[in-house]
Amino acid sequence: MTAVAPATRRPAKPPRSRIVFVGIAAFIIITLVSVSEEWGIGLDIGGIIEDLGNGRVILEQLLDPNWAFLPRVVQPLLETFQIAVVAAFIGCGLALPISFFASRTTVPNRLTLTISRGILSVVRALPDFLYALIFVAAVGIGPLGGIMALIFFNIGVVAKLLSETVDAVDTGPIEAVDAGGSDRTQMVRWAVLPQVLPNYVAYSLYAFELNVRASTVLGFVGAGGIGFLLRVQYQFQAWSNVSVIVICLFVIVFVIELISIRLRRRLV
Amino acid sequence: MAAANGTGRPSRPSNLKRNLWIAGATALFIWAALSVNVNLADLASLPSGLWLILTKMIPPDLSYLKSAVPAMIQSIEMAWVGTIIGATLSLPLGFLGAKNVSSPLVANTMRQILNAIRAFPELILAIAIFIPIAGLGPVAGTLAIGLHSAGTLGKLTAEAIEGIDAGPVEAARAAGGRGLQVQRWGVLPQVLPELIGFWLYRFEINIRASAVLGVVGAGGIGFLLQQTIVFGRWPLAGTAILVVIVATILVDTISGNVRRRIIEGSDVQVTSEAEITDPALAAR
Repeated sequence: MTAVAPATRRPAKPPRSRIVFVGIAAFIIITLVSVSEEWGIGLDIGGIIEDLGNGRVILEQLLDPNWAFLPRVVQPLLETFQIAVVAAFIGCGLALPISFFASRTTVPNRLTLTISRGILSVVRALPDFLYALIFVAAVGIGPLGGIMALIFFNIGVVAKLLSETVDAVDTGPIEAVDAGGSDRTQMVRWAVLPQVLPNYVAYSLYAFELNVRASTVLGFVGAGGIGFLLRVQYQFQAWSNVSVIVICLFVIVFVIELISIRLRRRLV
Repeated sequence: MAAANGTGRPSRPSNLKRNLWIAGATALFIWAALSVNVNLADLASLPSGLWLILTKMIPPDLSYLKSAVPAMIQSIEMAWVGTIIGATLSLPLGFLGAKNVSSPLVANTMRQILNAIRAFPELILAIAIFIPIAGLGPVAGTLAIGLHSAGTLGKLTAEAIEGIDAGPVEAARAAGGRGLQVQRWGVLPQVLPELIGFWLYRFEINIRASAVLGVVGAGGIGFLLQQTIVFGRWPLAGTAILVVIVATILVDTISGNVRRRIIEGSDVQVTSEAEITDPALAAR
């Protein structure tokens, strides 16, 4: 009893797999390179802490919003809302059929699937602001560029989420309509669509939320909405006005998110 | 044929409420579409405008790669370091924001703080806070990404912790664990795989977010994209866009595979494409 070797009391720890070490090493190396002065961004935490005081003057003005500026915010904010609504409707409407082309469940042909998924990942790879730049160059400054940019952005987000939901649907109803002699369109309509519809509506609401958030970015490159006003006030260094814009945006994002989360919770 | 009404089939449930929602949403769309300040002539010129740009971009001027690739690498580095900052900050915030770990009062307050952080996009954080502090350059952008990520990751962390099994926590407590020990051995091992998944997902989103920061001079490829497109240097813009597409898809693929491996473990045959489909995760 007393002379039991310690090794017998506990089972040996399983050896750590090599892949964990490789992962940790890769993490450390990438991080060191990224923060280095020479190859990376040159992050110097000590310097930042020393410079924290630099922001004080601006921060003081930000904390003192110029409420007289409020009337000028209303119209651009309304435009932001309109852009978000129109883009969400069109973008999400287009995303519905597209996502059926990008799911294993509804497209058994591997080639079609690979092509449609490839296109979708290219659509998703471009950031919203790049779409905005391109469309503003194509149609000029104004909300049209913003609407077009957000349409593509929404297709990317919703089609990706929805095609994964379609991948995971229950196959029972599909077999049932197949046995009933349906073609592919009927199968999608009667066996797949009813299963994913609540998720689709939830993703669309979510896309709408993202659109309102994206408005700062869009306006900065001339694609309409509140961002343009923000840019002008920023360039004038009118921080008390910037503050009003930011607060209004904060409130509208907050309210829309609150409504959207509540609706989504009821749906899914 | 002449069966009395209602005996053949049960009557359909009322769709009134649903139809009202659809009608309301359609009305909203029509109002927005009609009142938004879009010139129909602009809309008509859209296809030709796009086609013109596309033909000018092809073939791209590949000599521009020597500027575009380093800028894209800087974007990726900003996203990487920003994600690490966000993940580090989000751990304590997430633990404090979870009702089963901290007290309900602290948790609710923390959730509201996280919501507030999330409501400010990276662009605003950069121009209003971090450029004044750190000056123009990638450091300001990285810090903006980090703070915004802390908001989203903190919320996801808190939700993940609230979903854990209480058993291991009780076990750790019964074995005499205190405070942080319980969190370290009872909570963290349960949520860590999920959290690493969130971090990688956030990293993918941050690469896209980092692009816009270049517009205000906070580093990355965004500056090149804006300069080449605004000044109509389309062969150069084509190269920069190509770099963005290739790099983003590459990082997405690697990160997606790592994520799947972490969540499903090494024993599982990796055939499923099942990814995290919680839309909250895609929050940029």
